[in-house]
Amino acid sequence: MKKNLREFPVTAVLLLSLAGATFAHHGIASWFDMSRKATVKGTVTGFDWTNPHSYIYLDAKDEKGAVEKWTAEMGSVGMLVRAGWRRSALKPGDEITLVGKPSKDGKPRMILDKVVFANGQELVTSDVQGQPVEGSRAPKE
Amino acid sequence: MRKRSICSAAALAAMLVLSPAVRGQNAARQTPPPDISGVWQIAKPQGTLFPNGGAPLTPWAEAKFKAANPQTNDPNLGCLPEGMPRFMLSIPLPMEIFQTPTRVVIIREGVQVFRQIYMNRDHLKDLDPTYSGDSVGKWEGDTLVVDTIGLKDSTWVDNAGLPHSEAMRVIERIRRTDHDTLVDDLTIEDPSTFTKPITAQRMWKLKPGWEIQEFVCTENNKYTFQGK
Repeated sequence: MKKNLREFPVTAVLLLSLAGATFAHHGIASWFDMSRKATVKGTVTGFDWTNPHSYIYLDAKDEKGAVEKWTAEMGSVGMLVRAGWRRSALKPGDEITLVGKPSKDGKPRMILDKVVFANGQELVTSDVQGQPVEGSRAPKE
Repeated sequence: MRKRSICSAAALAAMLVLSPAVRGQNAARQTPPPDISGVWQIAKPQGTLFPNGGAPLTPWAEAKFKAANPQTNDPNLGCLPEGMPRFMLSIPLPMEIFQTPTRVVIIREGVQVFRQIYMNRDHLKDLDPTYSGDSVGKWEGDTLVVDTIGLKDSTWVDNAGLPHSEAMRVIERIRRTDHDTLVDDLTIEDPSTFTKPITAQRMWKLKPGWEIQEFVCTENNKYTFQGK
């Protein structure tokens, strides 16, 4: 688990706070640590392309092979569509890395900033104005 | 006599043409209201009206506000609409404005209700309180002035849980300050809740190419009242 999860302080707190504001349910942002970043590599087990929020479910294995089940939360389908996402963006079995803000309570949950695919391609969530939450390559269709 | 009548009629016609009331009507006919239609995104969805405290609450409202907890008893956690004015203050999703001479309709992505602003009537009598309320509007120059009453008291005014009564009135002054910018100045009056009117301003940015998307909150809502 520790090998897969690296957390480090993020200086761009303001930017991340704006990303958190994309959630229509406002209490939620307070459950995540907007000042930290989590990076988790694993295998996609599910993808909820849904409102009010969308979710990626991921199995991450630690060095002993134990599986930790992660949930990455995103904004609404509308926000994702405007950021270039599609329902077909992910499917179970995909090997990806999730990057986002981890839950304050230590549970394997995060608010997603971006997905990094095995080939290096990235799919980034957007801020309120539809801009990527962090500098990144544009997603390919 | 006949000549005098013609002169009088001409004088009367001249007076009418020159009178401020008639000039105003002609001007109103000749100058259509500004076009505010389009998809707009809120520039800065500030959810809390008093982030540092100090809301001018009456004792009744103070007690109710203290009982509000955004993580446990926000009515919107269960997907009920935020209601007016909260959905014009804090929701980080776009709206589309449709404009006709008799009605302005606002479709607000993510709140599951739409707003109808009636331009040709007064408020209805004996209103049933609703989430959007009863909105009537008029143009004052380049500003759309909207008066909304008839609002459910079960909603929160902001994300922190500011309460209100069914007597709340919201006045909005909406104007397009430049091609890409819409400004909404809101005044919230509710004497039984607030010891003085609350004011807020929200700016909206034009989003060419954006389309309002479906948003069915109950589809996969994991945030009902128990939190996570």
